[in-house]
Amino acid sequence: MAMIELQNVTKDYGDSRGIFNINLSIELGEAFGFVGTNGAGKTTTIRHLMGFLKPNTGTVQIKNLDAWQNAAEIKQCVGYTPGEIAFPDVKTGWEFIHQQAELLQLTDLSFANQLIERLQLDPSANIKRMSKGMKQKTAIVVALMADPPILILDEPTTGLDPLMRAEFIQIIKEEKGKGKTIFMSSHMFEEIEETCDKVAMIKEGKIITIEAISSIMSNEHQQFIIEFSNEQESTRFMQEKLDSVAISHTMVSVNIENNILNEFLAILSTYQFDNLTEQNHTLQEQFYHLYSGGQSHD
Amino acid sequence: MINGTIFKQTLHANVKLWLMFTIVLTILQVVMIAVFDASTLTDVSHLVEGTALAGMLGKTTLLGMLASTFYSIHGVIFPIIFIIMTANSLIASQVDRGSMVYLLSTPTKRSTIIVTQAFYLIVALVIMFFMETIAGLVTIQVFQSDTDIVVADFVMLNVGLLLLMFAISGISFFFSSYCNLTKNSLAFGAGIQIAFFLCQLLSSVDESLNVLNYLTINALFDTTAILDGEHYWWKLIILFGIGLVLYIASLEVFKRKDLPL
Repeated sequence: MAMIELQNVTKDYGDSRGIFNINLSIELGEAFGFVGTNGAGKTTTIRHLMGFLKPNTGTVQIKNLDAWQNAAEIKQCVGYTPGEIAFPDVKTGWEFIHQQAELLQLTDLSFANQLIERLQLDPSANIKRMSKGMKQKTAIVVALMADPPILILDEPTTGLDPLMRAEFIQIIKEEKGKGKTIFMSSHMFEEIEETCDKVAMIKEGKIITIEAISSIMSNEHQQFIIEFSNEQESTRFMQEKLDSVAISHTMVSVNIENNILNEFLAILSTYQFDNLTEQNHTLQEQFYHLYSGGQSHD
Repeated sequence: MINGTIFKQTLHANVKLWLMFTIVLTILQVVMIAVFDASTLTDVSHLVEGTALAGMLGKTTLLGMLASTFYSIHGVIFPIIFIIMTANSLIASQVDRGSMVYLLSTPTKRSTIIVTQAFYLIVALVIMFFMETIAGLVTIQVFQSDTDIVVADFVMLNVGLLLLMFAISGISFFFSSYCNLTKNSLAFGAGIQIAFFLCQLLSSVDESLNVLNYLTINALFDTTAILDGEHYWWKLIILFGIGLVLYIASLEVFKRKDLPL
């Protein structure tokens, strides 16, 4: 069952800004990553999910309810962290958390307390003086505390330090384990790789690819970059029967099938080299590849 | 339709401003009634006879004096400033800053937000004028007990002023609901009221500027008609109607618009 479904959604702001003919379908229990550069249309898409924007054409549905018509009803099962954080006029983090709990008709704050502890948040702090990371943590607690079955997260790790980001990813994995449907936009490819099942890339308002993370991360072969001690070694290496490309006088990039890794290492041991690095076949690479030359498909 | 949590938060964020304006307005009313002395005013009006100021001073009874001062200047401009600031902070500034997102990411309807915020603004004005009226009545008892005053007329002046402010608050609230940016909400929500106020002020200065009276809804709060017992009800009903229509329009426009949250 599709929990979140966008069909031919277009919102044209003119000057080719906006989103065009977006089709996405996120299944129950699926974690869906959404990546793209600034201004590509990530937040515009998410605002449609939240019922803040009405599409020019097309339909947006969450749990088979129209995201615009039934916005309030849908929020009973959606937790949301906005991309920009601007808290209302309240004093402390606690005051804000309690107010949101009231609006959500949530009386049991035990999960909120758990999250607060895990994210090392101090909600008694003055909300206006909170650092960006603290504010983001507060927003995350508020989005997750009612234990909603759908999470829509717009760049949720902005401002978090690496430790907290790791903790957040752990929390998201646990939420996913509970069977929640997650829609998350991010700049951080590692995050998406670690948490999501599928990823969509958006460029200039159009979806350019939707792929399973597992297929992007496939590692039947690996790429290494070798920096040789001198040019002779490099030239000699190029004569080996390997799929290699010279990057500079002393640097070579080589593509190795997993089943000949041992052979490769044996060959390499006869050379003098300064550095050997493995190039991960990552989402980031895919992203750069598609963004530089990628054709959009509708 | 009215959400207690939102109302509490709104009250919390806005009550200080309200209190300030209510106190200033009440003090002004009290002082102006307390210092009134019919004989002094007669002297002054003799002095300015034939000048532009004569029109502004008007009649020399207490209510006549109040009608041409408090009920056309101080009592109008202070609540207008209160309305402009409050109406903007109730909707537009929350949309502009983005904090509205937290209300709308809960199962709260847009209409609930608008109704709750409108309720606050209207109740704030009603209580503000209620307190000002009570203070006025008490002051009349204490300082002007020997002056002949029609209490019903005094009360009607305040009811009229309240209805004028209801209409004016409708304008500000409408633009607060319509605009996504504080600067636009303020430009319209303040500009129109100030223009109305100035038109009314200028029209009372000189006969030749009387035409300006037709350009301002402030003229519908016709103090002269109230004091002379002429038909003034229809004017007040129009003011009420303007306010009502604008509040309903605010609700409809906010329900339908795109929110950049």
